[in-house]
Amino acid sequence: MTTAFRIFINIFLILLLIPSVLANPNLIGCWRFDPALSSPLDGWHKMDIIIQIQGNEVKITYNMLWRTSKVIATNTFDTTQTLDLRDFFRIEQRHMAVYPVQQGITKATAAWIDDGRTLRTEVFTPVEVSQGEVIMRITTEYRVSETGDKLTLIELHSSRTRPLVYVFKKVPTEEPQ
Amino acid sequence: MKTIAFLLILPILTNVFILADESTPKPRSAWVMRFDLDWKVTGGLPEKALLVSLQGLANRASPQLYIIHPPDFQWEITGPLFEFYQRKHGVQFTELRSTDEALAQFKTCTKGYVIWDQAVGASLNVAFTIAGIENAVVVTSDLIPLVERHNLAQIADLRGRYTGKTDDAIYQDAYDRYWSRCAKDRIMLMGGHAGPVRMPAMADWGIREKMFFHDLSANPKHTKELALNRRLLSELEPGGYVFGWHSYAKDTEEEYTTLLSMYGLRMEGLHNLPNLSFNCQFTFTPGFKFVNQHHVACHAKLTAEPKVYISFVQSDSIGIGVWTKPGRGQLPFAWQVTMNWTEFSPAALEYFHESATPNDYFIGGLSGPGYMYPNHIPPNRFPILMARASKLMALLDEHVMEIMDNSAADGNLGNADLTKETVDRYYEAFPDVIGFINGYGPARTRDLRDTRPLISYDYYIDPRRPRPEVAADLNELIALNAKRPYFLLVHVRESNDVNSLIEITKHLDGPIEIVPLDTFLKLAASNKTYTTRYQSPTDPKHFEGFPKEEGRGN
Repeated sequence: MTTAFRIFINIFLILLLIPSVLANPNLIGCWRFDPALSSPLDGWHKMDIIIQIQGNEVKITYNMLWRTSKVIATNTFDTTQTLDLRDFFRIEQRHMAVYPVQQGITKATAAWIDDGRTLRTEVFTPVEVSQGEVIMRITTEYRVSETGDKLTLIELHSSRTRPLVYVFKKVPTEEPQ
Repeated sequence: MKTIAFLLILPILTNVFILADESTPKPRSAWVMRFDLDWKVTGGLPEKALLVSLQGLANRASPQLYIIHPPDFQWEITGPLFEFYQRKHGVQFTELRSTDEALAQFKTCTKGYVIWDQAVGASLNVAFTIAGIENAVVVTSDLIPLVERHNLAQIADLRGRYTGKTDDAIYQDAYDRYWSRCAKDRIMLMGGHAGPVRMPAMADWGIREKMFFHDLSANPKHTKELALNRRLLSELEPGGYVFGWHSYAKDTEEEYTTLLSMYGLRMEGLHNLPNLSFNCQFTFTPGFKFVNQHHVACHAKLTAEPKVYISFVQSDSIGIGVWTKPGRGQLPFAWQVTMNWTEFSPAALEYFHESATPNDYFIGGLSGPGYMYPNHIPPNRFPILMARASKLMALLDEHVMEIMDNSAADGNLGNADLTKETVDRYYEAFPDVIGFINGYGPARTRDLRDTRPLISYDYYIDPRRPRPEVAADLNELIALNAKRPYFLLVHVRESNDVNSLIEITKHLDGPIEIVPLDTFLKLAASNKTYTTRYQSPTDPKHFEGFPKEEGRGN
């Protein structure tokens, strides 16, 4: 193995590690929705999100409750590439006639920004409205407070000028909703 | 000459006097009581239960006792309607200030009393059933001295009879003892509030009409209660009524309405709707005719411009809406009328029509002649029920039918869509309407056949949602539905105030026009920018419905 090849391999491995090195480990864990500090969330009484990070992969699991309806869904992102997601879960304001398209493909990207402190995801997801199917772009930032106990999720829609801001408090993963 | 002139004008004068006589009802006497908001089982309930049972008996032969509730009671119209009876029907009310005074006035209407057990909630419903068929008032132990002072005799004592028994056992016992003597075209589902507060303000009506009272569950988990419930519903006459409301402690509105719809029955709520025993005995005032505030003729053709057309609808029955709140009349609003009030509460309907502004437009509903879920109505019952609805809509001068089927929804949200078969049936049953609207929460059933569109709500305004968020939501829908014209139908939940809606409309983007519902539907018929869609088998459902029982009319 030549020196040049060794250098190349090392650089390659470092590049591979960069995304996880930049990932904010404080984001990992279970977060519980705090309605008092958040934009009103219609159609859900409770929301937990569980964030897992492994290498380039970021899994965000939503645990939602409305009356007796429970929804658990996971969106998986890759910080190095765009993914095609089936059954992408969008936090719906359920008093609006905007529905996920069944079997629709959502283009999803993710990146660590602000020196790795913030996770930004961007999806182009098909939704069904009364005039048919349209694409909604949703850009979301996940920001953890300095103390590590508060997560602020800022969601911007291509169709909405007013961002939705959801605040979560960290809870032990095993604590039931 | 003067004599001839007099003779010439005599017929005119005579007609004037006849008209005056027709429009001036004969004065009649009645009594009135005022209730407060204390419905606690350990507080105001026992005396109120006694009084509403007395009201049902007092009003059996003629309208004698009316009850006024505070303005913040769920049914806000008892005060305005009290004034209406005086003004339009010439009723001269005398106020009764205590239960003692009421008993003194009406004790001859009752044969005795039934004692219910405060420790067994269902015993109150059994007592109401007995009250109807035995002409009794209902009392707790504490009230026995009061009724005995008026020489009323004990007819039944339920204390201890049902101790330790489950509700299904209690109502089975009541069924065995009393059902055969109860009305078979109507039943009283006296549920609603449960636990420390109960609100049986509709009991007067059930007692007057000798109905069987219960609060049996439609929750599939409560198998024994559900079985008895289904037996009762199956033994009602086709097209019969379920008055009252489901128990908030046992099941959901969706479950119960699904269940009764399977038997082709109709719901008339709520459990706390007061004074029907009084209201049912007044007809419309002489010469009164419903004239709706139409904005377009039935056969008119309009052409939509490249705009966003918005229309607001208030359902939940006008009596529990925002009718008496400030701001009404400043925006075009459609109001869903409980059509069966033509039979049970004509004065209330006349009051609403009399006080309507040009912006208030009445529509038929809910789903038919009463509240029901059409996806579950037996196909052979559907045309009969809808023929009745059609007749009532003609009487009420209504051109739009509002449909709601939340059988697969969870509360106000979820799947509120109609199957294609259901939509087909509506189009067949209502050839003369301008169109249909559907939903409660948002829904996605849409159609256009000939000139009759069926449009579902694209938005549901929760009264608690901050107004800037409502404006942002509506703007988002406008952005997502980018073709013009866009037809944005909005359901305004009860207790939203109109003034705040006016504020919202000032913050909407784009070429907006707020139009009355009839205009909205006519415009929607002119340019179909919406998709045709029905409930799909793959759409998520919260509740699949109940299994059918052979030979039970479901």
